[in-house]
Amino acid sequence: MTATKVTPLNPASESESAPGEVVTAAHRPVLEVEGVDKVYGNGTVALKGADLTVGEGEFVSLLGPSGCGKSTLLRIMAGLGGVSSGSVKWWEQDYNVVGSKGRKLAFVFQNATLMPWARVRKNVRLPLDLEHAGKSSEVDQKIDDALNMVGLKGFDQSFPRELSGGMQMRASIARAMITEPNLLLMDEPFGALDEMTRNKLNDDVLKLWKEKGWTIVFVTHSVYEAVYLSGRVVVMAARPGRIVDDITIDQPYPRSPDFRVSTEFAGYCRQVSQALERASAMGEDREEDQL
Amino acid sequence: MSTPLIHNERFVQIAAPVLVGVLVLLMWQFAVMAFEVPKYLVPSPVDIGRSLVNDFPSLFNALLMTLKVTFLAFAIAVIFGVAASLLFVQSKWIEISLFPYAVLMQVTPVVAIAPLIIIWVDDTTWALTICAVIVAIFPIISNTTLGLRSVDPNLLSMFRMYRASRWQELIRLRIPGALPYFFGGLRISSGLALIGAVVAEFVAGTGGAKAGLAYMILQSGYNLQIPKMFAALILITLTGILLFALMVWMSDRALRNWHESALKVEH
Repeated sequence: MTATKVTPLNPASESESAPGEVVTAAHRPVLEVEGVDKVYGNGTVALKGADLTVGEGEFVSLLGPSGCGKSTLLRIMAGLGGVSSGSVKWWEQDYNVVGSKGRKLAFVFQNATLMPWARVRKNVRLPLDLEHAGKSSEVDQKIDDALNMVGLKGFDQSFPRELSGGMQMRASIARAMITEPNLLLMDEPFGALDEMTRNKLNDDVLKLWKEKGWTIVFVTHSVYEAVYLSGRVVVMAARPGRIVDDITIDQPYPRSPDFRVSTEFAGYCRQVSQALERASAMGEDREEDQL
Repeated sequence: MSTPLIHNERFVQIAAPVLVGVLVLLMWQFAVMAFEVPKYLVPSPVDIGRSLVNDFPSLFNALLMTLKVTFLAFAIAVIFGVAASLLFVQSKWIEISLFPYAVLMQVTPVVAIAPLIIIWVDDTTWALTICAVIVAIFPIISNTTLGLRSVDPNLLSMFRMYRASRWQELIRLRIPGALPYFFGGLRISSGLALIGAVVAEFVAGTGGAKAGLAYMILQSGYNLQIPKMFAALILITLTGILLFALMVWMSDRALRNWHESALKVEH
């Protein structure tokens, strides 16, 4: 594989990263997962010894077979689930730091998770309402900007059911960005969409990531999506869920559709696929051992 | 070009059952006349109509009394039912401790406890209302509690991630999400409030100024005024239908923009 190292950076992080350098966890850590185990009440070991550090401005994908604990790990990162052992740090502190200025976190779920009874505008402004932001022209402007950014201008008075799946996902992303998050956690957000829409939304997310300087952890089933989007692909194996590989995608941003047809892209996809196959085989071996 | 009425869905929805009703009435009228059935056994539709007109003042007063008890009971059932549901979702312990008593109230036949209530409560209207509330309240409690608990877990996670207060969670998430269940409860409960009122009147056998439609039925039965009995029965049925239609309309108004139950499907 002949991956050339070219200027790759998320411009928003450029001030902290030298040109020609891939953003890695060497930068100020936003998330530090150390030796995390998660055992459910019925004895299922969802995660075993997960270690992962995500640096500021990184785009990291979690990839793995079904049941490998990707979503569990992501929910733990969001503070939505406790750990059985190990520790998680956000901006080098405990969860209480989340929500303060410069330490905001947003989560995009597998489905759009909109309130069906509320119009798009009300859905998008929900995080602000929960913060008692009140009604002001500044808030209105913020909502308009978020809607414009995701291409939903003119749909603010629609109900979610009146939108296509892709548009609902856009509304969900607008809602996530309204609080100006620093860390964005996305749980297979485009898994249910057709390929065209998914590709378009991938480009949109990359554009926003670049403009906003987010740190993103992105869960996906798709090797192509992971390679296209990420600076790092973290491969997980199942039974028990664990991290088995961490592959750097040493390619420059912005990434255009041309990247999808490049030999470098094919090379990375092969590398990641092989890692994924090894990870799947590990899970199956464990299963056979148990039988 | 105007569409023929037969292809108008709305027209057919109304016309078809009306046509069936008219046919049944005609057959009924014809059978009663042909077999010369005495009106104290089975009155003809014409006899019933005549009674509706001639006895209108007394029937109307009885209808008002029954309506009063029904609406009062229904309103109380809604207020207390919703309050109980809101209490239940605050804590699993409260629900575990109190829900069995709500079930107990539901399974105890109102006919069996009505005499006690009538003895204990001096005012007849209130005694009847309490009986009707006991019958009507359970669907509200059970449906609304179910609705308040049936929240999209991801939405709930999101609310918690944004550190929403319990109040915000209730007002912005649980209550709007519970509306379809609540309206389902209203539809059942409105009919039950009427049934409860009528059953309680039967047990109380209240006459005089406070006589409701049930008492009219009893009284007409004793006096062999069978057409009047049917007329009172028709008024009860119509009241039930109108109440149900009112609930359907309210539910459609509240849910038409988002809930599958109230959406108009376009083919």
